[in-house]
Amino acid sequence: MPWLDCNSRRIHYELAGPPTGPAYVLVNGLTQYVRLWQPFRDALVAKGFQVVSFDMLGQGQSDKPSLFIRQDDQVEVLRRLIDTLGDRPIFVAGISFGGVIALRYAIDHGDKIRGLVPMSSFAEVPAQLFMLGSALRTGLILGGTSFLQDLLFPMNFSGEWLHSMRHLIDLARHRGWLANDVYALQNLMESFLEFEPLTDQLSAIRTPTMILTGEYDFLTPRPLQESLRAHIPDSALVIIPRAYHAFTLEKPALTAYLATRFAEEVMAGRWRGKGSIWVAPENVGGELTPFPEGFDHMRAIPVRTSAPELAPQQKKATAS
Amino acid sequence: MKPFLGPLEHGRIPALQQTRISAFLISAHGALTRQLGVAIPASLHHGWQVELHSQYCREMEILSLLGRATSWVPDPALGFQVWQWEMAWLPRPVAGAEDQSQGGLIDLAAFGHALHTVIRPAALLPEGFPDEDPFALAMRRIEFESGRLMQAQILFLKGPQLAHVRDVVASAVESRHSQVRELWQNLLRSMEIDTSGRHTLMPAYQARTQPAAAAATQPSVVMREP
Repeated sequence: MPWLDCNSRRIHYELAGPPTGPAYVLVNGLTQYVRLWQPFRDALVAKGFQVVSFDMLGQGQSDKPSLFIRQDDQVEVLRRLIDTLGDRPIFVAGISFGGVIALRYAIDHGDKIRGLVPMSSFAEVPAQLFMLGSALRTGLILGGTSFLQDLLFPMNFSGEWLHSMRHLIDLARHRGWLANDVYALQNLMESFLEFEPLTDQLSAIRTPTMILTGEYDFLTPRPLQESLRAHIPDSALVIIPRAYHAFTLEKPALTAYLATRFAEEVMAGRWRGKGSIWVAPENVGGELTPFPEGFDHMRAIPVRTSAPELAPQQKKATAS
Repeated sequence: MKPFLGPLEHGRIPALQQTRISAFLISAHGALTRQLGVAIPASLHHGWQVELHSQYCREMEILSLLGRATSWVPDPALGFQVWQWEMAWLPRPVAGAEDQSQGGLIDLAAFGHALHTVIRPAALLPEGFPDEDPFALAMRRIEFESGRLMQAQILFLKGPQLAHVRDVVASAVESRHSQVRELWQNLLRSMEIDTSGRHTLMPAYQARTQPAAAAATQPSVVMREP
């Protein structure tokens, strides 16, 4: 079992796939641990990528600092892990909390990677997300990890998927409870108490970026993804139909298909982000379609925009 | 090595395993209770002292519960171990503290934090173990209560009154964590238990596509914290 030493802390990571060629580094969400990536990881490996997954500080088998976890330390872990991969095309994908760490890494070290995939992520904590986060933290403190998971299940997944999984929900809750420690989760959540918005720094991300968001994600809703699209120069926003927050678990094959396609386009020099907005196919192998022109992608009902919604870089290009 | 207690004897956790787990917990929680008893003044003048008093009462409940919910059997190995544990729980100086009083409070809080966070007795129960079993229910209640009890220590240790000695606090807590973890893991090893395997169990999401594995691993009853 491979371990990375980072400032006297032990980080557990796993490698899968060929040790040469392009690599994907996956960054966990809050209650995640490496094994939860397995179907997504296997789909990427089948396409020839080496996949690196790891438990952040406070997660899974990595060390769990007793009182304080700084997000800067998580970024440093990611930096050191990526540095071990050598000189080859490296892509970083992070979901939710992990997306924030991936964004912070890309702001400081974007030149070391070929592409970035923030999934259900965010660069600021507006009032709605702050209050949701506070409620989740209170739920963890008063009701333990199981209660936190009870709150997260309906936020993360569709009703149809939960129904189809109903015979396994207790097992999922139990396995999640076994793998997570209350104090470590609390420390991870409280690392946001000193969080400063990253919005003004997003323009420093020069690497191609595909922002993935679920159509129905209300935990990190569309305006948060829109902010990423508007400020990251070479980005595109891709909306996954009928998806909620944790689509890497609910739709691993489709998400891996999108990630593979993005990496292949970047490596082939075909990627053109341009702040564009797309709708992902419902199934693997389908085509992405541009969001209907003239309609507002921020609305849940079809509302025409008074003028086409342009990202800053598009506006600049139009003006010139 | 296995991740859980067992194998079961007549559907119950073996009495020797119950005895060892409960002896450890009584030693540690008993030491914390005694230290809290000394730290609480006869009349309370600060908010955090109210928290201390609440903790003291909760710890008494845990001790009473362990004594009654455990199937005790004689265990010759416990004599030396209990002495070793009791020595470890004694108050110890905190390097870098401003004075002895502050150091004493930091160490007490650090010990309580380690006890409530490192030790997860309910996570040792085999998956699907029935809720009605008194020992199992006691383990679940103690772990669940620990999640709440640790909040007082977190508030104190992370609070503004110790912000200027944050490194001292972090070091003291890490030290107590290491100590408690080492003793706890030694005890588990004596029962051939290794908890690191709990992270390698197949997630339920993946069991969905492997029906046979799911049937083999699905708990027979609802597993919840009390």
